[in-house]
Amino acid sequence: MAYRLVQLELSQPIPAIPLAPEEDGVGLVARHEGRLVGFRMLPRPAGEGLSAEAVRAVCDAEFALPLAAIRARQTLADRWDLAPASPAPSLSIAICTKDRAARLARLLRSLEAVRGGSSFAGLEILVVDNAPSDESTREAVEAFPDVRYLREPKAGLDFARNAALAAATGDLLAFLDDDVVVDAGWLGGLLRAWRACPNAGGFTGLVLPFRLDTEAQVAFESRGGFGRGFAPFEFRTERHGPLHPVGAGVLGAGCNMCFDRRLLLSLGGFDEALDTGAPLPGGGDLDIFYRVLRAGRTMRYEPAYAVYHEHRETLPQLTRQYWTWGLGFMAFLEKARRTDPELRPRHAAMLWWWMFDRLGAIGRSALKGRGQALGFAWAEFKGGLQGMVGEYDRSRRRVQRIREQAA
Amino acid sequence: MTNAPWRILDIDLAEGPRDVAADGSPHLLVLWWRSLPIGTLALARSELPFSAAQLADAAAPMLADQALARTTARYAGEDGAPQEPAGLDAAMSLDVLGQLDAVAPAPPPCADRLSVIVCTRDRPQQLAACLDSLATQAALPGQVVVVDNSGGGSAREICARPGVTYLHEPAPGLSRARNAGLAAARGDLLAFTDDDVELAPSWTQEVVRAFDDVSVDAVTGLVLPARLDTPAQRAFEIDLGGFTSRHFPIRFDSRFLEVTRHMGPQVWRIGAGANMAFRRSVFARLGGFDERLGAGASGCSEDSEFWYRILAAGGVCLYEPRAVVRHHHRSDWQGLRRQLRAYMAGHVAALVAQADRYGHRGNIRRIFRQLPVYFARKAMQAVQNLQGWRLRLLWAEVVGWAIGLTYLLRPRWRRIGRGSRSRSASPAATAEVRHA
Repeated sequence: MAYRLVQLELSQPIPAIPLAPEEDGVGLVARHEGRLVGFRMLPRPAGEGLSAEAVRAVCDAEFALPLAAIRARQTLADRWDLAPASPAPSLSIAICTKDRAARLARLLRSLEAVRGGSSFAGLEILVVDNAPSDESTREAVEAFPDVRYLREPKAGLDFARNAALAAATGDLLAFLDDDVVVDAGWLGGLLRAWRACPNAGGFTGLVLPFRLDTEAQVAFESRGGFGRGFAPFEFRTERHGPLHPVGAGVLGAGCNMCFDRRLLLSLGGFDEALDTGAPLPGGGDLDIFYRVLRAGRTMRYEPAYAVYHEHRETLPQLTRQYWTWGLGFMAFLEKARRTDPELRPRHAAMLWWWMFDRLGAIGRSALKGRGQALGFAWAEFKGGLQGMVGEYDRSRRRVQRIREQAA
Repeated sequence: MTNAPWRILDIDLAEGPRDVAADGSPHLLVLWWRSLPIGTLALARSELPFSAAQLADAAAPMLADQALARTTARYAGEDGAPQEPAGLDAAMSLDVLGQLDAVAPAPPPCADRLSVIVCTRDRPQQLAACLDSLATQAALPGQVVVVDNSGGGSAREICARPGVTYLHEPAPGLSRARNAGLAAARGDLLAFTDDDVELAPSWTQEVVRAFDDVSVDAVTGLVLPARLDTPAQRAFEIDLGGFTSRHFPIRFDSRFLEVTRHMGPQVWRIGAGANMAFRRSVFARLGGFDERLGAGASGCSEDSEFWYRILAAGGVCLYEPRAVVRHHHRSDWQGLRRQLRAYMAGHVAALVAQADRYGHRGNIRRIFRQLPVYFARKAMQAVQNLQGWRLRLLWAEVVGWAIGLTYLLRPRWRRIGRGSRSRSASPAATAEVRHA
């Protein structure tokens, strides 16, 4: 099972899309004059490509309206003379990585390709090498000019993120995971998000698939992946439901996020007891989104601020990812409940909502006999139950030991 | 949900960039491009101030959609929404703002052909506001008829003003009142509105313009909220979707009836009785409003049942959101629950009437399949989101549904309907005409 990932420029003649015999679908990334317009997963019988007419029909149905909206936004900005008034901020980009030099180099190359066109007042790239087992990451970074290398000996993603926070100098601090590459419009999209809402505390962006070569990757993306759509939105309102701001996960994912650096410093950075890798590899992004929102600052999602993420390759890896989602979410919720008593009714409501939602997913996939979906839903539910019974405390003790060992 | 009243703010995007300042209250922005309403935007207190750049982001998809809809006519498909995709070529070549500028000018200020019929029942203050908004129209209608459906004639004094024809129809029932009004109307275009509504100043001329298309038999328009002061008003407008929510024109024709026939044609999506108009000739062909339906009788849906007849006879209903009214929603929960109960009871009664009249079984299927599924799904959502208020509103709807079921078991009531297929509107014998 594999989908062919196609980049389609809508201002050019629409081509047919042939498929190799082992390919049984198309992931269509549509752009107009380079700007991202939309993404569609199109399942196909194996080896049966799409004619130009068929591609055209998909474009008519899916991309015409978003394209017209993008053009309308441009002409409106011209007519309103929405020229940037304030000077652009400076930006630090932090990549936290551990023993994945090849992927890191791939990401650095994609950044190298876009940094020349940056309109930010200043731009620095930091690589935080997190408790590495060899020198390969350092060597990979040395191949790139103007990339700072830092080493964080304490193992744990949020130790690494906090090291980046301590070293960064930009007004904004963007975080990237090492399993992504940035889109050509990534920097411009981030600047656009900042211009639309300069007082936002943070920004998240679109996450598209980097490749769809395995059953697990296709399954993950077909179930929605990390996708949050092609319309920008802000998260701070009652419209996002009575669960606000507990359900900040709809904002996006930690693999592509950016914050006002001074706000992060005033919040004390990331919670190092989350995102520790095994056994609690998650929750840190939810926690920081929540704390930014609780500090009274908005967060903005911007589709043009896009990355491509290398999804889990095998089904066991993917199942484990769903398990970590449940686990990380519940660890975060337990922490929020403990540290923010004022919002306890909302935490309880969120717990109820989540139980309802997950049990519903389990029930639906069981009734419909969808074994794979049932496996994913069950894994996430199991992770959640495990997160509820003291995982956050266990993780705090582990992190304390790591700190003591390092000291 | 906070309890502070919301502010409703109209913004004409054609006038240039605009920052919306924070003033401590949540806002409902009503966005316009000159005469074109293009959308609404709810902003919580924490979302303000709202910059011009943010406004441009939010408005761009609405403007694009509006320009496309004003380029190619849209026909209603299964859920009342247009089914035809816009097309890449149109999206690529369209000059969005140029197209909006081209279609935005107001029509000529002439509404002599129009008779406006306002039915009222014991709401003198709201009626006065409604009549004020009629008196300040850019184009005064040829005739204004107020039908007083109260027992004691409580609206008589309010109506003692120039240009208003007062009728008293003491027999209760909105359909009766509307039929009495249309019997007294002289214009060849007849517009209906309610006493709890205020009309936008261009309403009459926009209604008249919508009939420029000779194929159109009936016109409906946009119903905006007049106020969002109370949680009940906001629940109705924002959570339940209000009366009408689309901001582009849609044509409903017999195809719409066909594609939705299997599940009960979704005629209520055509519009709202508080903002509707007809060619007079339609009533000669199809009769008047069904007097078993509507407020004061079964509850509501006398309007949509009439649209049903128009579509079944091959006619066309046009939803044209440029004809704008502002409706005062029920301000307290009890009033809203009563309203929803009446709506659902009336809706079920209309389904029975439609099934009897045309033998379209989809109407009955909707009563026993779609509606229970809708109740169950909404109840699940309300439980998941811990929205007790939504459950209480839903219960009112379920009770209304049960009341509606009783019409199925009333053979006499149902026989009247079968007989009334060709019944024309007759002036009510008790109507008392007074030209003030």
